[in-house]
Amino acid sequence: MSDPVDAEILERIARWDRPPPDLDERVLFAIELDQVDAEVARLTETAYAGSGARAAERTRTITFEADSRTVMITVVERPDNLVRIDGWLAPGAALRVELRLPEPAASRTVTADRAGRFVFDEVPHGLAQLLVEAQNGGGRVVTPSLVL
Amino acid sequence: MSADVRLGALLERARDGDRESLRELVHELNPVLWRVARGQGLSAEDAADVVQTTWLELLRRLHEIRTPRAVTAWLITATRRESWHRQQRGRRDVPDSEAVLDTAVDPGPPPDDRLLTDERDTVLWRHFNRLSERCRELLSIVAEVHRPDYSAIASALGMPHGSIGPTRGRCLEKLRGMLVADPKWGA
Repeated sequence: MSDPVDAEILERIARWDRPPPDLDERVLFAIELDQVDAEVARLTETAYAGSGARAAERTRTITFEADSRTVMITVVERPDNLVRIDGWLAPGAALRVELRLPEPAASRTVTADRAGRFVFDEVPHGLAQLLVEAQNGGGRVVTPSLVL
Repeated sequence: MSADVRLGALLERARDGDRESLRELVHELNPVLWRVARGQGLSAEDAADVVQTTWLELLRRLHEIRTPRAVTAWLITATRRESWHRQQRGRRDVPDSEAVLDTAVDPGPPPDDRLLTDERDTVLWRHFNRLSERCRELLSIVAEVHRPDYSAIASALGMPHGSIGPTRGRCLEKLRGMLVADPKWGA
């Protein structure tokens, strides 16, 4: 950089609006998958509900959409500082759903009922990612990582 | 080694399953992609999400990328496209009652209302915002790239290859002119 003013300008611009400190961690967690050919579900909506007065009553509903399927989850705060995840797959199908958690926690797998409902209970706060089993020759569906 | 060759080599090693190269690629390019998403007007929360989605897409298409050296351009282009789609969908983060507003995640200050503690930053920010959108986007990106890979930025921004250097020069010159004329900067 030849001009010192230019250098200062660019240096200051680079300092503005830094990425969130956990962005690298979130990305690395999300792409740590063994299977990389999964269909990516986009986050399309987040809605908050609950009184807000007590953390235990707070819920957050998050919708992810992939071409082949929609995954909707409601994250419910539990009084013991863990969360419960109530999920729905649309179209509904009895598919295996995996909840990936950062190591050393093990992944959990449940099978949705025929209407596409599934539940993960006593889940710790922090990063998580959902994977839905493939059906009829389609790919697995993977969500971006989310912060519970 | 130029930036594009080095990053291309990282991509090829990542493609062969080397996780460390993939991590290095993420550390190096995340700040640039963050700028690109924010430059498209996304909130901090949406930008973080778009950046993640872009990497997931890269992973999915890792074997389709024919020119590894073009990985920066590929990622910038994909981030812009994701950002655009995100805005089109008009994410509806609507709480169902006003009482929960204070419990919602704070998306951070909008780009035009950031808390700038340094006086020179404040002055710079004011003049920076008088530049054209193209200048703001370009300067944000080149400020983040240590050894600017002009051809990658050019193809990602849809500008002719030879024009990035001169455009960057013109944008900086204009900004410098405004700053030098401002006594608050010169003081």
